[in-house]
Amino acid sequence: MNSAVDETSDHELVAKVVAQQDATAFGELVRRHQSQIRNFLRKLTRDTVLADDLAQDAFLHAWNKLHTYAGKGTFIGWLLKVAYTTFLQSKRKSSRYNEILEEAGHDADARSSRQTEESDEISDLDKFLAVLTNDERAVMILSYACGLSHREIGDAADLPIGTVKSVIFRSKEKIRESFDIDDHKYG
Amino acid sequence: MIINMADRLKDDTDLKLESLFRSQPVQDDGFSVKVVSRVRRRIWVRRLAMPVALTIGTLIAAKPLLQLASAIPKLLMIVPDSMSGLDNLPLSSLPQNTTVIFGAMLLFAVMMVGKMLED
Repeated sequence: MNSAVDETSDHELVAKVVAQQDATAFGELVRRHQSQIRNFLRKLTRDTVLADDLAQDAFLHAWNKLHTYAGKGTFIGWLLKVAYTTFLQSKRKSSRYNEILEEAGHDADARSSRQTEESDEISDLDKFLAVLTNDERAVMILSYACGLSHREIGDAADLPIGTVKSVIFRSKEKIRESFDIDDHKYG
Repeated sequence: MIINMADRLKDDTDLKLESLFRSQPVQDDGFSVKVVSRVRRRIWVRRLAMPVALTIGTLIAAKPLLQLASAIPKLLMIVPDSMSGLDNLPLSSLPQNTTVIFGAMLLFAVMMVGKMLED
């Protein structure tokens, strides 16, 4: 990728993609933001392979819907919203799939074998995330892992700012009630 | 960019949670190339879809159309002269200018709706 493309802003690249269907410009957007999107989905799903599949689908959805990005808010905020919607859609589908498996008498735990080795720190994170609902988990990850502002989280998760603040407050309370957070080691 | 100070005020739990949630950047390792190749494939599929559908449609419709075309002269032969003669048609039975314009507008509107649907 040449330096001229490296210096182009996200908004300019988006405009290029929308106007010219430029796959190279879109590739640059993917290269810039793949890490954040994949990290977000890895934390949401706790499954590296599934998260990367979902990330690919999310970028394809982004390609199809890019004309709906009006330039309001950051591009990464919009991308995270697309990724979260993709995750929710896949979760809906997989819950139906698990129902069918259960009806057929299969153990739906096969996915755990796919989980890649993660550090002890991640399993602590797993325990924290396990006490939260889907929405709470997404808001906490967007806030603490992606570093988004309350407004950006609101845009990404389709929630009013007041709700975002109360979800964060409630999630922190839940974590404090369920765990002695000081007992855990931090990087 | 407006910075909301409420976002910036962090307590001890916030700092610990931030530390817990922090993760290393994920290496690209061909991920973006994979996405772009899927996007390019999609562009090609979209470009090819219409011509391929048109060709298949023409192939399917060709035989019945030819049969219909060959049947028209036979059909005209059995229609009585009084009904088929265009010479006897009164001028008023021909389409008027307003009808032609209305038809053209309707055709244009249908084409526009078709294009919108395609988009």
